[in-house]
Amino acid sequence: MISKIKSLKLAALAFATVIAGGAVADTIKIAGWGAKSGPLRSFGVNSEAIIKAAIDRVNENGGVKLADGSMAKMSYDYYDSACNAEQGIAIARKVASETNALIGIGPTCSGVAAASFGVFQKKVGDSSDTGLQMPLLTDTAVRNGLAKISQWTFRNTPNEPDMYDKLFAWIAKTNPEIKTIYGGTETNQGHSAGTYSKVIVQAAVRHGFEWVNGPIDEVSGKIGSGFKNVLSSSSNWLMEDTNFSVQARAFKKSGADLFIVSSHPFTTCGFLKELSRMKGMPKMMVGLTSSSSAEVMKGCPKQAEGMIIPTSFAPITAAAKEVAALAAANGGSADLHSAAAWENVMIIKDVIEAVGITGDPSKVKEERAKMRDGLEALETTEGLIGKVTRVQDEGEALKPFVFVHAKNGNWEVLHDPRK
Amino acid sequence: MEYYFGILQNIGFHTLLGLSAYLLLLTGQLSMAQVGFFAIGAYASGILTVIYGINIFLALGVGALIASFFAFLVGFPALRIKGLMLVIATIAFSEIVRLYFFNLRWLVEKNGVEVGPDGAQGFREIRYFAANGWEPYHIVSFIWIVVILVLFALWWLDRVKAGSVLRAVGEDELAAQSSGINLTVVKVSAMTGGGFIAGIAGGLYAHSTTYVDHNSFTILLATFAVAYPILGGLKNVFGTLFAVIFIQGILIEGLRFLGDYRNLLFGLLIILVMNFYPKGLINIPLFNWSKLVKRRDI
Repeated sequence: MISKIKSLKLAALAFATVIAGGAVADTIKIAGWGAKSGPLRSFGVNSEAIIKAAIDRVNENGGVKLADGSMAKMSYDYYDSACNAEQGIAIARKVASETNALIGIGPTCSGVAAASFGVFQKKVGDSSDTGLQMPLLTDTAVRNGLAKISQWTFRNTPNEPDMYDKLFAWIAKTNPEIKTIYGGTETNQGHSAGTYSKVIVQAAVRHGFEWVNGPIDEVSGKIGSGFKNVLSSSSNWLMEDTNFSVQARAFKKSGADLFIVSSHPFTTCGFLKELSRMKGMPKMMVGLTSSSSAEVMKGCPKQAEGMIIPTSFAPITAAAKEVAALAAANGGSADLHSAAAWENVMIIKDVIEAVGITGDPSKVKEERAKMRDGLEALETTEGLIGKVTRVQDEGEALKPFVFVHAKNGNWEVLHDPRK
Repeated sequence: MEYYFGILQNIGFHTLLGLSAYLLLLTGQLSMAQVGFFAIGAYASGILTVIYGINIFLALGVGALIASFFAFLVGFPALRIKGLMLVIATIAFSEIVRLYFFNLRWLVEKNGVEVGPDGAQGFREIRYFAANGWEPYHIVSFIWIVVILVLFALWWLDRVKAGSVLRAVGEDELAAQSSGINLTVVKVSAMTGGGFIAGIAGGLYAHSTTYVDHNSFTILLATFAVAYPILGGLKNVFGTLFAVIFIQGILIEGLRFLGDYRNLLFGLLIILVMNFYPKGLINIPLFNWSKLVKRRDI
């Protein structure tokens, strides 16, 4: 009897080993990381929810096809980098050296991206450079020009200079009564301040809008021109601020036709509430791309009413609507940052199938290089609201976008510049 | 292994930062300026390697000297105040430094690419280690040689007359002064020495992370700098090391999956240690650390 139990146990063990061994060989791992703690927590939560939904979808459809024609499931691990450079780097190193993940998706914050991209090898094949050799496809960190830090890093993030250029061209054409502008930003947030002073105000000036107190020195409309003077001419705040009375008063006093509010959802809402309390609302408002999110609609839907933002995600196609629903079902929300995570998973699936990945853990280094080459070879990818063009000398994307405005507690599409 | 080397690097420069605060705490000065010196060391050495192409050893040394010069300057006004006023004054110094770097834009074109500090956009591509073929174990070895040298120097200091003088000032300034100790020399020397160590730590940090910006040097890091020696205990230098390993290695890295709850645990830990081991983690009997590293009674 005992020997029978023993042999049954052995058989079960052998079966389990085979199953476990098979599962390892039949699973393609990817890794994601972003801020799941701290003030930008919602960004990581949203990205993870969408990565999970995308991977579930791939697996429901049979998985991903490997080099030998067999199908493998996809799996992911998501790490909290807390919008902290040290932690982002630690995760990049962990994923690259301690896991079999083929590729990473993330991070949330541009500062973390700027730091962690620096620990990757700058030029592929440079044997004198000991940086990490693992491809990374960013979904969220949007600050200009980060992907070119390393040839292993790619981004599927919107191109803000193009977005704001087209937005102000459209406003100038459709709203000729809007002539003067005034604005402010959260100066200690690189993305908000950089995009505001180097991109948004410049685009407005380029299309004939006038700064309310007269032209700002050295600002010509060219990206980055006189950006320091833009900041000193504006009424700004910090990301941690909770009181905006001075800034709101300055905005109201300016009397400009159009206000530019370049900040993330948390201070955007704080500022707009104060501006509304002071009855200082202008004829038109333009916001930062990152604020076209559910957080603003949850935090200050009434005060944000009418704010216009260009965004690379809106539920205007069947696929985009489905992703928005899946994100909600997974405890997140889809916006221009998190929706890119869905696209990234699908891009990764396509590249795996195109370059012929075996999923053999012993070949992970070689297959990561194949994945990188596969990513670099892409000229276009399928986005949720249209085709995405790759700018591969910089590892960046040119994503389609629409202009949305806050209306009745939702972001509604105001104009599609492709039409 | 690269991941573990990375954690060891973090523990290394955080230990140095903690030790810079430890040196001041010996003289009874609770300084939040260490993060300011850390930032000066980070930016100065980064500028030297990235813009001027100087060797890392020289860059770290010069960065530490610049940081210690500022610490020397801070040391004099700091003599006139103590306790909470010193905390406020040193926070102000660190904020001045942080905001200076927040506004510092010093871009130079190198090989067709603009490099250098770029205000709020930060200072990228401080890639001396990777660009010069340093393997992760080279970097971690280098950082830990520096850490061990500093640990040894402070351990030795605690065993000679100078260490006794520092502790005497820390215990009772009036009594120390009455026995002929020159407070100005002792306190300014401790501030300068602490600035030098923080400057080296900053340089290593910048080159290890490859990127720094003003957000890297906030009041939170200043709090960590003084929390390490206080939590670890001032009985000897190894308390700081122990606290850094515990916070950076276990609380931050090991409990990453807990997200925001990690910060709660950190607060809880401080409350527990202050209540049960007011002289620091090094006195926990389970480890018998104080017996392992005996310090001469003074």
